[in-house]
Amino acid sequence: MSVYQELRQQAEEAWRTVESPSRPRIAVGVTTCSRAVGADETLEAIRQEVSRRGLEADVPVTGCWGLCYAEPMVEIAKPYGSRILYQKVTAKRVPQLIEEALASTNGVCQELALATLSSEPVDGMPPLSSLDFMALQEVRCLMSNCGVIEPENIDHYIARGGYEGLANALGMSDEDVIWQVSEAGLWGRGGAAFPAGRKWDFLREAKGEPKYMVGNADEGDPGSFVNRTLMESDPHSIIEGMIIGAYATGASYGYIYIRHEYPLCVERMDLALRQARERGLLGQNILGSDFSYDMEIVRGAGSYVCGEETGLIASIEDAHGMPKMRPPFPAQAGVFAKPTNVNNVETYANVPLILRHGAAWYASIGTENNKGTKMFSLSGHVQRVGVVEVPFGTPLRRLVYEAGGGPPDGHSLKAIQPGGPLGGILHAKDVDLPLEPEPFREKGALLGSGGLVLFDDSACIIDMCLYFEWFAEDESCGRCSTCRGGTQRMVDILRRIADGGGRPSDIGLLRLLADTMRYSNCAHGQAAPTAVMNSIEAFLDEYQEHIERKRCPAKVCRGLIRYEIVGKSYNLPEAAAICPTAAIVQQDDDYTIDQSLCIKCGACRELAPAAVQVLDAFG
Amino acid sequence: MISEAIHNRSQARKAGPLTDTTKSSPELEQLLTDLKPADADLLAALHRIQEAYDYVPPQAIPILAEKLHTTPAMIYGAITFYSEIRLEPPARTTISWCSGPACRLKGSENIRRALEAVLGIGLEESTSDKAIGLHLVQCDGTCALAPLIRLDGRPIGPLTVSEAIRLARELKEKGG
Repeated sequence: MSVYQELRQQAEEAWRTVESPSRPRIAVGVTTCSRAVGADETLEAIRQEVSRRGLEADVPVTGCWGLCYAEPMVEIAKPYGSRILYQKVTAKRVPQLIEEALASTNGVCQELALATLSSEPVDGMPPLSSLDFMALQEVRCLMSNCGVIEPENIDHYIARGGYEGLANALGMSDEDVIWQVSEAGLWGRGGAAFPAGRKWDFLREAKGEPKYMVGNADEGDPGSFVNRTLMESDPHSIIEGMIIGAYATGASYGYIYIRHEYPLCVERMDLALRQARERGLLGQNILGSDFSYDMEIVRGAGSYVCGEETGLIASIEDAHGMPKMRPPFPAQAGVFAKPTNVNNVETYANVPLILRHGAAWYASIGTENNKGTKMFSLSGHVQRVGVVEVPFGTPLRRLVYEAGGGPPDGHSLKAIQPGGPLGGILHAKDVDLPLEPEPFREKGALLGSGGLVLFDDSACIIDMCLYFEWFAEDESCGRCSTCRGGTQRMVDILRRIADGGGRPSDIGLLRLLADTMRYSNCAHGQAAPTAVMNSIEAFLDEYQEHIERKRCPAKVCRGLIRYEIVGKSYNLPEAAAICPTAAIVQQDDDYTIDQSLCIKCGACRELAPAAVQVLDAFG
Repeated sequence: MISEAIHNRSQARKAGPLTDTTKSSPELEQLLTDLKPADADLLAALHRIQEAYDYVPPQAIPILAEKLHTTPAMIYGAITFYSEIRLEPPARTTISWCSGPACRLKGSENIRRALEAVLGIGLEESTSDKAIGLHLVQCDGTCALAPLIRLDGRPIGPLTVSEAIRLARELKEKGG
């Protein structure tokens, strides 16, 4: 029996206790998004409740199914019974859940039940796959383990086919592995969409020792959280992909660069690395072969440009993360001036699948030009916030309306922001675009790394562009004057438009700046004006309304609105009391707002919506 | 929700700020003994120092430069480049305001303006008694809670403007 087969056999035994448990198994999904709504407290409450009742049950920690809107989620499996997923299980609901779900073999807590994990309905409960959120995701490849396995248990990953791809790769030549990756059509998921196989071949042919494999998990695009989901729920898929990459390119060491905002990812990836080392999957003579490789985690400290590959390299090299000039490219001179390959961690996570199921299988998913699946995170004005995985070519509309449930009731979709603050803005009329890089590029936008932020009709395009430009300015490393100064000037101009001082020549000035910023060294400066340029095309009337009529149609830009008390309400005393600047003045029974004090925070309107209105400042 | 959040926040306080520069250097040296040049050690070292002291004391800069075979200027440049590394001790209580797009779409700017008005400080500033600090953070993808803030790291959301005002007032009254 091979070294891998031995590992697999041992792992399958551990997995059997999950598949057919001999006692109830109450698994709590603990990830960043579920922790934010109290998953740690839920876990603690379940452990206490189980011990208080003297129940014989296992209470393990699992990952994220991608249904952020339903967190905290709990899966209860019973011997010879059903496997049911419960949603929004806060600590307070735990006693009820345990009481009803564990009362009998068939007990179900109907109030919290979301779906069953069986393929057939149980007690009228729909299978998970039939939920609207999951309907598009018949093929979950990258996320096949997310929510299913315990991310802190390497056996679970191995039992479900993990590291089989590595075992297969070690039986091939380096060139054959790269051929497989190229034949599958895998390209980089970080945003640039460069073919992974070609990039690996550059490193394989590069001269110099040692060679480095780098995983980019500096997922800095606000509104993107696909890498986070993967690292927290299935860390080994990334590690396996990087080991295969190292074997194919001759790299002997690797780094995974994880952003500061993801402490749980650091914790889980670090544990996964240690477990992999214990099993002989990292270190000397991996799986009994003569191939050796190891890797470590580098934790970022709050910088967006460190997600740019040369900025990331600089950051690993004990310096500030300022992107470098190219050439030389990382394959010639990367980390510590040695040959280096940088890929997004999602790119690496595809590799084990290719090596396990074959390039032909992989290439059968997706479209003519774009093979495989892609993870997307949905946020903003959307009913169901979460992470989905769909084949390339899936219409954006289906993701927005079927998985996401569309904008909140009573609102309509106005725009979509793909690919982070540098990815641009799409008009709602482009919602039928297929999710592939080319059609997005034609519209002057980027598909990017997977963030999709939806805007409904309550959003102001100028305000959002001001945010994107402010972000680009704040995160500019300062090397190129085109980027450093260009983003500053754009912020100045957008701010004056939002404050009511816009000039008719401003549109031309913004275009001129965008043309200049293209000459920046890295993608940060080059792409910084994208949202402004897209929106000048798609929402020109909104710019003109702001500039010429001094009006913000969505009533967001604070220089163009004023709060007024237009009626009576019993809540006005409370509204006056909440005002942080004491701008609400009472005279007898009448309340008025002192406009010179009002900071337009809207707190009074929250408390007395019938009496306080937002009006145009000039009109 | 607000009082509960204030009550629940982490009471654990880190080691106090380093004030005696002569005494502290051996302590810092101890913390940094295993650093090597060209070994991707700087960020790890900065995190380690900040975990121990809650900030990076300036006297760490020459030690880091010597260990990593670089100049104090390069170390200082790196420290000030990263927004999560501090050269000064933070306030006793930190309100972190999420600047992300999902929060922005749901009114985080209104929350920021209200917090600034109540506390009398801007982002990345602390009240004069060092009781409360306002810190800008980037999106970490907990967008189902938008708009949100973090009180000493614990997320609170979705937050209304009036809740934010009550929270800031209560904290101010308590002195952080």
